[in-house]
Amino acid sequence: MSPMNNPQDLNPSSLKSRFTTRFLRALTKINGQKPISSSSPREMFQRYRRIKVAADKSMAWSVRSRRTWSRAMLWKLRSRYSCRQASSSRRSSVRTSTIIKSRQAKTSHEKENKNTTTGQDEVGFVVQADKLRKLVPGGEAMDLCNLLGETAHYIKCLTTQVQVMRKIAHFYSL
Amino acid sequence: MDPPLINELHFSAANPSAYGLAEIWPFPINPGSDPNVATAGGLGFRMGNLGGFGDTSGHRDGSMEESTVTEQSVGYGAGTKRKDLSSEDESSKIVSTTTSANELNDSNGKRMKMLGTKNENAGSKAKVEANSAAGSKPGQNSKPAEPPKQDYIHVRARRGQATDSHSLAEKARREKISERMKILQDLVPGCNKIIGKALVLDEIINYIQSLHRQVEFLSMKLEAVNSRMNMNPSIEGFHSKDLGSQPFDVAGMIFGSQTAREYAQGSQPEWLQMHVIGTFKRAT
Repeated sequence: MSPMNNPQDLNPSSLKSRFTTRFLRALTKINGQKPISSSSPREMFQRYRRIKVAADKSMAWSVRSRRTWSRAMLWKLRSRYSCRQASSSRRSSVRTSTIIKSRQAKTSHEKENKNTTTGQDEVGFVVQADKLRKLVPGGEAMDLCNLLGETAHYIKCLTTQVQVMRKIAHFYSL
Repeated sequence: MDPPLINELHFSAANPSAYGLAEIWPFPINPGSDPNVATAGGLGFRMGNLGGFGDTSGHRDGSMEESTVTEQSVGYGAGTKRKDLSSEDESSKIVSTTTSANELNDSNGKRMKMLGTKNENAGSKAKVEANSAAGSKPGQNSKPAEPPKQDYIHVRARRGQATDSHSLAEKARREKISERMKILQDLVPGCNKIIGKALVLDEIINYIQSLHRQVEFLSMKLEAVNSRMNMNPSIEGFHSKDLGSQPFDVAGMIFGSQTAREYAQGSQPEWLQMHVIGTFKRAT
């Protein structure tokens, strides 16, 4: 293979580049945070969760707010983070949880409205559409048409994410 | 106010591909002649009106004018709303009876031609209040509207020629959805051969789930790699003391120290090498 088989990856504004730089930055930050002292499963799990969250967050940040799914994912990550931060003070956590619940209720209510208006022509795959809504972040409150568009972009970003992570893992595991 | 004229304008604006009113209905339109019968009151019917018909069977107001000729909303005495009345385009209208004579639908579909307008009109006028639900058409090929004794006449569009604003919107929506499904099919490998929206969606869902699993697995692998590197600082990797604000430098150093090995490995990390070089050069 020629060294320049992917010339477009050098484009600093492509999704791949943006995600890579962000993710590498997050990884180095995670590594710098605390030295790995023990390898208890619990800590390993925590580190793994942190890396996964960093990967998702980097991807969502690379997309900014241009897409509904990225906005939903960022919102979810932020609310979860603030929830965890405020776990010491019960009041704020209750507040955030009520906010989350109200938002979920609102989205589910919207979903119900949308479902009633979808009509009869999608009887065949309403079940699949619901499954898709659960998979794609922010999919609960979208009608089928937008959901499919968001799914396409989400799949593209997920494949990029997997590709980059695989290369990084391969690169640094040698 | 001139409902038929308005309707005609509306109709022609909404459906430029339809025939002009004059072509379809060569007879003068008399909106006020027989308010009890929705004669050629214009073609700009609306679903809402159709629905409204059901409510007010005897309420032949001006909205009746908007129904199409064939529609002749004969005695919506049943009072049932029929939302499946699509396309009221006369040129593609197929009048079907709604009562027990459902078998007539097919025959009606074949016979519905505009040439029967005049006859339909006459026949419908004659049978305005007819409401016996006999279904069988007495061999009236030229008057598909008849099977008279119907409580109400259903109009169904010929295939692919819906002109109702609602059905047009539905069709546009369906086309948008199918176009997006095609895009998705191109994205997901192995989806091209599958036919059927439900199966394609199943495939897409499986693919997204597998991508999620891959992300989880790779993050676990990265975590293992990092912990291994942190425990053995001698191994090139993320040096904790270098991690400050210049991850690019670190990556560049890492790259530099592994150059020989990477070349031997082949081209797999080439993309990463190029990228690292690029960012390294940019950072310095």
